[in-house]
Parts: sequence; structure tokens; C-alpha cells
Amino acid sequence: MKRTMTLNLTELEMRVLDALSLRKDLSKTAVLRQALRLYQTVDARVEKGDKLLFENEQTKEKAELMLL
Amino acid sequence: MSAEISRIYLLDAATGGAVEAELRDAIEAENLNDWQTKWQPALLGVLQGLARKGVPQAQWPQSWHWNWQEKTARVSGLLAYKGFSIVALGETQGLAQIDLTKSARILGEAGKPIVYIDYLEAAPWNRPELGGSARLRGVGTALITAAVFLSLEEGFKGRIGLHSLPQADTFYRDRCGMTDLGPDPDCQNLRYFEFTPGQAGTFLEE
Repeated sequence: MKRTMTLNLTELEMRVLDALSLRKDLSKTAVLRQALRLYQTVDARVEKGDKLLFENEQTKEKAELMLL
Repeated sequence: MSAEISRIYLLDAATGGAVEAELRDAIEAENLNDWQTKWQPALLGVLQGLARKGVPQAQWPQSWHWNWQEKTARVSGLLAYKGFSIVALGETQGLAQIDLTKSARILGEAGKPIVYIDYLEAAPWNRPELGGSARLRGVGTALITAAVFLSLEEGFKGRIGLHSLPQADTFYRDRCGMTDLGPDPDCQNLRYFEFTPGQAGTFLEE
């Protein structure tokens, strides 16, 4: 069963959501659902003590994303 | 939360008749119990036979070490992971674990979300490559179909992807019609396969 909620976004947030929706070929609801899944997954890993790292495939440079 | 159940039909390999089955959108305790008490002993018998015949380990069923209890426990409670199970004749006939965080790689679709099949396995008695004759046919196809429908439901347009164990390459390439994107050095050189929305549509029509 799905539940409905109202989401208030700023102009900029809405523009970002629109852009992601277009680029990812997803509805805005699907973008937000994906965002929630990713956030929960990353949060669970960080809670266990893991780090979130990004690596540039070309330069092999690594950057750590800090989650507060 | 209880699993959603769909009625599907598998093929009895001996009689050619249809066998009613349940496709559930979850892997539950009873499925894991079947894996432990039925799949494992059946697989052990196969492995002992292979060892007796001196078949090298490289030619053993490549999923022999998969532990479904560990796999499901690792992602328990996480929204990004889903499971499917197929139950027929009172026992679990197939399992699949899905990851919803991955993106497409195929040209024209790259970066768009896919339903990624992390693991897919049919019960040992449904796998002719293990030496016997399969009892029920269509388990793998039914799980792939479920993944495509999930992709459609999620708004991913039917896009799915997976890394195949070498023994299953032909199934995904020739039977399902997925695009073979070649060996992936980031995933033990397993071949990576994908469905575009168009290919997924064709697969569902067949």
C-alpha cells in the first residue's frame, strides 16, 4: 500500500528534481524514491563504520564523502 | 509485511504438463528453510558425485558456495534490495535478489536506473547442467520476467542488468536476448548483460 504526502521544495530544489527526472528518465516520484533508497543504504553502511569513497576512473584519485 | 503473490506456470519436464506455482516478491523464512534443508543436501550430493568422478572444481556449478541466508540477512530492512521466490509442489523452486541502486551501461541508456539482479538461482533439481534431468522448467525465465515487471513498476522502463556466471551466459544471451557487454574486470571478469527498454518489451512478448 502506498501513502501520499505533500512535499514543499524551493525553486532551486524543484529545478534540480526536474533536471534529474529528465536525465534519469524517471518520474519525480521515482527520483525521490531512488534518493531515499540510496540515502538509507549509504547511511546503514556509514553507521557500520564504512566510508563512502568516490574514485575517478581515469586519474584513480579518491575522495571521501562526509555524511553528517 | 506479507509478500505479494502472483500465480505463474512452470513446465513439468517429464510430462510436459503445466505446474501451478507462486511467484512471491520476497524471500521469506520458509524459502530459506527450503534452501537449507532441501537445496543444500541435493547440491551436496551433486558435488560429492563430481568429486568422486574427479571433475575439477572449476567445472562445478558456479553458485555452489552461495549462502542465501547470509545474502538476505545482509540487506534486510534496506529499501534498495528486494527478493523474489518461486514456490511450487510445496517447495522453493527458485530465488533471486535484486539491487535497485545500479545504473545502465549500454549506449543510449547509460546512467539511467536499472533493476540489477544480484543473484538468481534455481533449485538444484531444476538444473539440467548438474547432471540429472530438470524437474521443472521455466524458473529462470520466470525470475527474469519478474525483474522486468519490477523495472516497469519502478518506472525504469524494463531496463535490467546482471553479471552472469559463465555457465549461464548462453541463457541470458540466446534465450533471453540480453545484450552482452563483455567481461567486467571490476566483477571477477564475469560477463555483464543488459536489457534496454526495447529488448525488455520483446522479451515479454515472446
